[in-house]
Amino acid sequence: MTLHSEQAEFPPQSRNAVGAPRRPSLAAWKTTAARRMRAFAPVFVLVALCILIAIANPNFIELRNLIRIANAAAVPLTLAMGTTFVILMGSIDLSAEGAVAIAATTLVLLAANDSNASNFGWWAVLAAVCASGFMGFLSGNIQTGLRIPSFMATLGVWFIGLGVSTYLLGGSAVRLMDPALRGLALTRFLELPLSVWIALAALAVAIFIQYFTRLGLHIVAIGGGEDLAELSGVNPRRVRIAAFTIAGLFYGVAGVLAAAQLGQSNSVIGDGRLFAAITAVVVGGTALTGGEGGVINTLVGVLIVTVLGNGMVLLGISPYIQQTVQGLMIIAAVASSLDRLRLKIVK
Amino acid sequence: MMERFSMPGAGALTRRSLLGGAAGGLAAMALPRRARAAGDKPLLVTSIRSLSNPYHAVWKTGAEAFAKSVGAEHVTVVSEGNSEKGIADIKALLSKSGGHMVLNSDPNDTPDARPIVESCFKAGAYVVTQWNKPSDLHPESFNPYYISHIEFDGIKSGSAITEALIKAIGGSGGIVALGGMISTTAAIERKKGLDQTLAAHPNIQLLDFQVANWKATEAYDLTSSLLTRFGDKIKGIWAANDDMGSGALEALRAEGLAGKVPVVGIDGIKAAVDAVRKGEFAATITSDPFWQGGMGLSIGYHAAMKAFDPTKEPHEHREFYGQTTTIAKDNVEQYFKTNVDSQPTYDWNDLWGRVVGPIRAS
Repeated sequence: MTLHSEQAEFPPQSRNAVGAPRRPSLAAWKTTAARRMRAFAPVFVLVALCILIAIANPNFIELRNLIRIANAAAVPLTLAMGTTFVILMGSIDLSAEGAVAIAATTLVLLAANDSNASNFGWWAVLAAVCASGFMGFLSGNIQTGLRIPSFMATLGVWFIGLGVSTYLLGGSAVRLMDPALRGLALTRFLELPLSVWIALAALAVAIFIQYFTRLGLHIVAIGGGEDLAELSGVNPRRVRIAAFTIAGLFYGVAGVLAAAQLGQSNSVIGDGRLFAAITAVVVGGTALTGGEGGVINTLVGVLIVTVLGNGMVLLGISPYIQQTVQGLMIIAAVASSLDRLRLKIVK
Repeated sequence: MMERFSMPGAGALTRRSLLGGAAGGLAAMALPRRARAAGDKPLLVTSIRSLSNPYHAVWKTGAEAFAKSVGAEHVTVVSEGNSEKGIADIKALLSKSGGHMVLNSDPNDTPDARPIVESCFKAGAYVVTQWNKPSDLHPESFNPYYISHIEFDGIKSGSAITEALIKAIGGSGGIVALGGMISTTAAIERKKGLDQTLAAHPNIQLLDFQVANWKATEAYDLTSSLLTRFGDKIKGIWAANDDMGSGALEALRAEGLAGKVPVVGIDGIKAAVDAVRKGEFAATITSDPFWQGGMGLSIGYHAAMKAFDPTKEPHEHREFYGQTTTIAKDNVEQYFKTNVDSQPTYDWNDLWGRVVGPIRAS
């Protein structure tokens, strides 16, 4: 069924190229080769970036710095894993910042903190992840039940999350005082902070979901063409709700990690993370139209964005032009990874 | 928090405007229309940007404390970063109160001060503005209703924490600085304070100046990258607000450097005050939002009750820099006792006690 939806997307010329390997014409060979190259474009970008930065400042490849990069990538990676599933489905999820705020708020208010007397330890983590997962569940139901486009549905859930967390925190920043939970960011195992290991575990789970479960297949199928997927027996409503819920769970883990890193939560703890996540997903080569790309792409995308941020500081690039460089980088990465000839319409 | 300076852009504006939604408007609707009677206490109104940052939350408690001390009705309206909503809410309250009202406003944006002041003037309500107003808008042009405008000197604050940081690292060595969002006045002034002080201390080397947009999260990532670039050369970290300072502190903590590399910030948020107590922050500065919230109303209240005549006050009572407090090791315990553990008690009748001078023409 995935095969059908994928083929449906190919224009006749490229289908010939794939479907007739025994009579390879030079032109056809070029097309396939070019596509293969493009699939790896984000990796080339990442490698080139690393080499350039390392030449300019050898400190970049010091183990200590690589650990710092891993640490800086932990929260965006976990977050972007969630966003990937929704984008793969051809939808968009804007609720990340609200969900992160809810998770971080739930965590600090239930674990030992400087605002109330609760001290539920690891139960607080579970509650935080579940609360955020519920937000995703809500997004999925709003989208499918009320038939509201995911853009608006998740925008609404974003505000709801932000509003509820502002209300719960009473406008102030509440600090996380549980040493075990702070340990998620401060304790190291094999040199790496636990938060990095957790992000890697999240990556592993995401890979498993995408490549080894039926749900993963169905998500890609819906992104490739929902009508075809439905004809093949996929229940889009159920898959959508599941994908949004999974995204919410990932945001929850990211929220927990963010609160552990900063040692506090305020309602703006998620500020700026949404676009970082979407940027990473797109730069990694996942198409906003859905059906193409995946969590491995996102890993590369997150690393590109993080390495770039780290590298610009190492190179001493003026903060006044860093944003410009980031913008150019995004356009360059997307331009090199998309086969624009295949796009019939650009909107 | 200085959240008013750190709006990340249009996205946030829409979000906050939607978020704030009807709350303030509903508050305005719920009030009964009141007739003005002689000797009747005016309605006290606090207009601030948001309650989702600690700074304005404390502002509101100060306002409530003053309102309680005189037994007057008090309403808080929140603009949530939406100028039009902020102004509309104020107009609604002006009409409900028949102009018998005192407004203490932190205008959402600089141009907002003008329509706010004009509608108060028309309705005969007394108004005090803080932080934001166009430079050609003057209280004297709206006598007697526009009483005062209060700001805090960013250059002086930026300079004071730089001095504190230099002292903490023993007078020589390298530091890195984290600035606020590039285009905001507060960010520019505080950086100017840093630059001026550094010019007088040739033994201090500013290794790098980075922009963390007022945010702890960005400061966290930047600090760890700066540690790679400069390593042990970093003896201290200067941050233009406490939120970025605490982000930097957590990045230091992750490397086992908390308390070894001193941090300074501005705003006096609780996390920073605690860090000063633990010796992880060298200093922070507060404009005392509790005082701002209470005193802005008190000035208006006393004018409305005819306790003084604004038109007879000197210019430096009409537009002035308020006094800030530097919180460092030597006074942090005292500050904690009076301002954090308990609500401060101020003499709300001492209207001009914190005037430090006229506002610099920019």
